Amino acid sequence: MGGVLVRPIILTICIYLFLKFIVPNLPHSAPLPSSLIFLYLMLTTAGIVIFATLSGASKDAFFGPILRFLTGDGGGALSSARYLVLALFPLLVGWQTYGSTASSDAPPAENRTIHPAPPGEYTGLSNPVPKTPENIMYGKGLYASRCAPCHGNFDGKGFAAPGFTPPPANFKDPTTIAMLQESYLFWRIKKGGVGLPVEGMPWKTAMPRWELELSDEDIWKVIMGEYDGAGQKPRTWDESE
Amino acid sequence: MARVRRPGTRWWVGAVGLVGLCVAAEVQPAYSQQSVSVRAALVKGSLPTDDPTAAAWATAAVSEFPMSPQVHWPVRITEVTAKSVKVRGLHDGTTVAIMLEYTDPSEDPEDAAALEFMVGDTKAHFAHGQPMAQVEGGPVNIWYWKNKDGKGSDLGAKGFGTLKPHAHQDVKAKGVYQGGVWKVVFSRALNTEHVAEDTQFQPGQFANIAFAIWDGKKMETGQPKEKGSEKAISSWWYFRADAPPDYSPYMYALLAVALALGFELVLVRRLKKGS
Repeated sequence: MGGVLVRPIILTICIYLFLKFIVPNLPHSAPLPSSLIFLYLMLTTAGIVIFATLSGASKDAFFGPILRFLTGDGGGALSSARYLVLALFPLLVGWQTYGSTASSDAPPAENRTIHPAPPGEYTGLSNPVPKTPENIMYGKGLYASRCAPCHGNFDGKGFAAPGFTPPPANFKDPTTIAMLQESYLFWRIKKGGVGLPVEGMPWKTAMPRWELELSDEDIWKVIMGEYDGAGQKPRTWDESE
Repeated sequence: MARVRRPGTRWWVGAVGLVGLCVAAEVQPAYSQQSVSVRAALVKGSLPTDDPTAAAWATAAVSEFPMSPQVHWPVRITEVTAKSVKVRGLHDGTTVAIMLEYTDPSEDPEDAAALEFMVGDTKAHFAHGQPMAQVEGGPVNIWYWKNKDGKGSDLGAKGFGTLKPHAHQDVKAKGVYQGGVWKVVFSRALNTEHVAEDTQFQPGQFANIAFAIWDGKKMETGQPKEKGSEKAISSWWYFRADAPPDYSPYMYALLAVALALGFELVLVRRLKKGS
């Protein structure tokens, strides 16, 4: 009895385990919020029910064991399982209710936009400094003295980095400067963390406002040095896929 | 060679394999845990505001935060003595006490430590409430202690160069140096009358908190190793004074259990009648 339910149950468990434990460990992934996992499981359950009720015969085959189980018509060992389920369900509801009404120990969620839009005057600027080996080397020198304490060897792991949240950017990560134009970096370096809009949480970042210490030309050279040192290329308008 | 597949077994094989992967993933967590907030438990009796070595501090939850050199402001430093700070908190419903604990190889008169808070609901930059280009920031409230002063100072700032003592001094502080470790306790009333200048704590609500530490060791130049904006700092973290116990979630849970049980009874009865 109930053999038809085994596959849906295993499928649901496997999807839960996959979402909970496998997905967070995939490259460039993150733990899924429990609400999203719950949503996916509800979609899975809905899909199973729709699939199982496509015909009258499959509907009876699917719901028949459930009804017999709940009414105690199955008898035998299932009778004990039935009492167990009937006892656990209210406890589960009570536990969920407690969890949703008790105060949480988790701090407020923060939704930081990592690459917010720059002000209009910084959009589409091109690097006016010739890309010569000398300029790249000069930019790398400035990087070593000004940026490396936090951004490290272009990997965001400088010796001064551990206390900062958000952490300094990892330029070797393909999701940072490789997907940005040079003009974007010019804005971020020139104005620093305090130049960010509200969605960038400017009150948390330690990025200095380098316009107080570096000329525009030096900032462009630092950008060249950054891309060269990180082995990345800036995104450009004429880039074609 | 043709392979014979037995449909009844493939589900189980897949499930066992997936569970195995999950167990492996659990054994090797992909991301480490670190403190994000300081919790001040509600205690009965007097707070150990004048004694950083009091036994009561051993009962307080410990949070640890990494420290970095101050690099935002141009008068910066790139290496600091304090690499991390342990933080504990307690409150009695009226007064809050927060203790910093950190290593320092030598006790010096210029050794100092500070806590920083936002004031009101307006966000403030963690570096002394530095002005922000696109966001109107608020001031910060700084609780400062220096070894040679032997007391706490209640300060305010809205950007570097604007730091000044409040007209009202509400903060107390006491530091004890033992075995290469500083323990500094700051204390103040949870709430004050000066809401425009002082941070106010609502038990149960999260507030932002940041830390600063100065190693005052005298260098050959005659100047302290760390002074002014040359210091160890943290960015914003969270602080919360525990709210008094609230038993209403237990009552809601009991009510939910009763309703679910009633639903079950009605459902089973209906199903039995139907069958």
